Amino acid sequence: MTDSLFSSLLTDTPLVPVNVNGEMCHVPDGYTVAASLLYLGHRITRQHPVSDEPRAPYCHMGVCFECLVSIDGQDNQRACLQKVIPHMSIQTFTQGAL
Amino acid sequence: MTEDTAAVYDYLVIGAGPAGMAASIEASKAGLKVLVLDQEATAGGQIYRNLGQTHPQQENVLGRDYVAGKPLLAEFMACQAEYRPGVQVWHIEAHAKGFLVAALESGKSVTFVTSDLLLANGAMERPMAIAGWQKPGVMTAGAGQILLKTSALLPKQVVLAGSGPLLLLLAQQYRAAGVTILAMLDTTPLVNYWRAIPWMLAGITTPKQLLKGIWLTLVQRFKTPYVSNVSHIEILGKDKVNGVRYTVAGPLTGPKAGRVHELHCDLVMLHQGLIPQLQMARLLGCEQHWHDAKQCWQTRMFEGGKTSVSGVQVAGDNGAIGGADLARLEGRIAGLTRALKNETGASLSTRFEGLWLKSKVKQQHWARGLVDQLYQPAPWVSNPAGDTIVCRCEQVSADQVTAIAKAGCTGVNQLKTFTRAGMGACQGRQCGLNLCHLVAQAQDRPIATVEPLTLRPPLSPITLGQLAQMPSQATDSQTGI
Repeated sequence: MTDSLFSSLLTDTPLVPVNVNGEMCHVPDGYTVAASLLYLGHRITRQHPVSDEPRAPYCHMGVCFECLVSIDGQDNQRACLQKVIPHMSIQTFTQGAL
Repeated sequence: MTEDTAAVYDYLVIGAGPAGMAASIEASKAGLKVLVLDQEATAGGQIYRNLGQTHPQQENVLGRDYVAGKPLLAEFMACQAEYRPGVQVWHIEAHAKGFLVAALESGKSVTFVTSDLLLANGAMERPMAIAGWQKPGVMTAGAGQILLKTSALLPKQVVLAGSGPLLLLLAQQYRAAGVTILAMLDTTPLVNYWRAIPWMLAGITTPKQLLKGIWLTLVQRFKTPYVSNVSHIEILGKDKVNGVRYTVAGPLTGPKAGRVHELHCDLVMLHQGLIPQLQMARLLGCEQHWHDAKQCWQTRMFEGGKTSVSGVQVAGDNGAIGGADLARLEGRIAGLTRALKNETGASLSTRFEGLWLKSKVKQQHWARGLVDQLYQPAPWVSNPAGDTIVCRCEQVSADQVTAIAKAGCTGVNQLKTFTRAGMGACQGRQCGLNLCHLVAQAQDRPIATVEPLTLRPPLSPITLGQLAQMPSQATDSQTGI
């Protein structure tokens, strides 16, 4: 994890608690999982199953399948298509990924 | 048997963007039982994504064209059509009563039966397979705009690279929001400006619009660090982006032409125009054709958005890239066409005729022709080379694809067997077009003769558990899944 490359235009959005890789974090309400990860500074979100290269969200509209993470125990979920809900559990770098 | 399979819909619309919304409004107004499935959490498609839930500050940055979708969105939300967001369609097939659509809704299997289908699931950005585009820190310009619409997220600093109206629009929006644009690398080849001249001349008929376009383009040139005639962009960095290398083409050709530059950055957004998302139409067997000006495959469309498959229509950018206004018009036409199948009311027919004429005028508008000619991808973009990754999912390079194609491979579908390109999770969405270009180039034949990737279910990943949850009626149908 490094400093985020992104910042929010708004400052007054209410935050929701989410669990990322076992760590409690707070992200603005209404964010997708992919946006949350970028906001929190996760520049790399998975390891490519073929090349082991690092990868991260690319298209943010469900067509590239680069943002696959585990959400609430379900592997290979497109992080860009799901909005965060309070206490959602997000796991990056999951094994057995597509 | 679940309730989902019990109901038979008159019209199932996939996609709740401008085309899907407009079609649903018209069809439900005519009394049809309409179901709208959309993969996103909110209606509006990519263009009006998150509209209605955005903060005034976001709307200021996004501009008038974004906010202009509000009346359509409100009309859609108030109409009688059943709208189910967050639904990912993974299979469609012929069924005794029309079509069976299998999808995942909140991780659960659902199936629907409909007599007629409208594919209005829009476009995607043309894959811009440049060296290093798979590295973390590279995303599409569309992704940048989605982050702004849904999350009010802005990059602290960014390099924009590529060509097309969306890139210019994003630059304008980022500037308005105070984002540092380190460079705007314009890859539009100079030859495209010559090609576009006839369309610019045609634009003199409506000078206000032409001047607006020219003004927008010029503003970006003077207000951002603008580099034109850029080629051979390469993303630098090992684990993540730490820079970009590019060539500025000189006036001369040959090995000495062009100077190479490097720029330090950690975020690059790419854009090279839009192409229709053809997966569903291909799965259904709708006839497709190569469109030379738009440089992409399209579903062959007949009157009212009908396709070669009876009962299946397409509308909006899913048919041919034409923008939100045309998509809305085509959506209304598609919905009316479906309604006219059941009843031939004189008022419906008159309304259809009027809209049909209007859409023809809009499709042939000079601005569309101008955009098509001006923003055609440069050959180095369409035909990646060397160890540039073409298939991101299976990590297949341009050289590997070219070698197999030169060895006499029959086409991209056989190439898939040899290299696995197109077999990954994205189902060829990101590599399909470039594979066709590379095969055409290696075998020195027109791309129109290269049959694109065959599509097979599932269109998006599904677990065996989810498959097992499917209602029994669905599993008994012809294909026996």
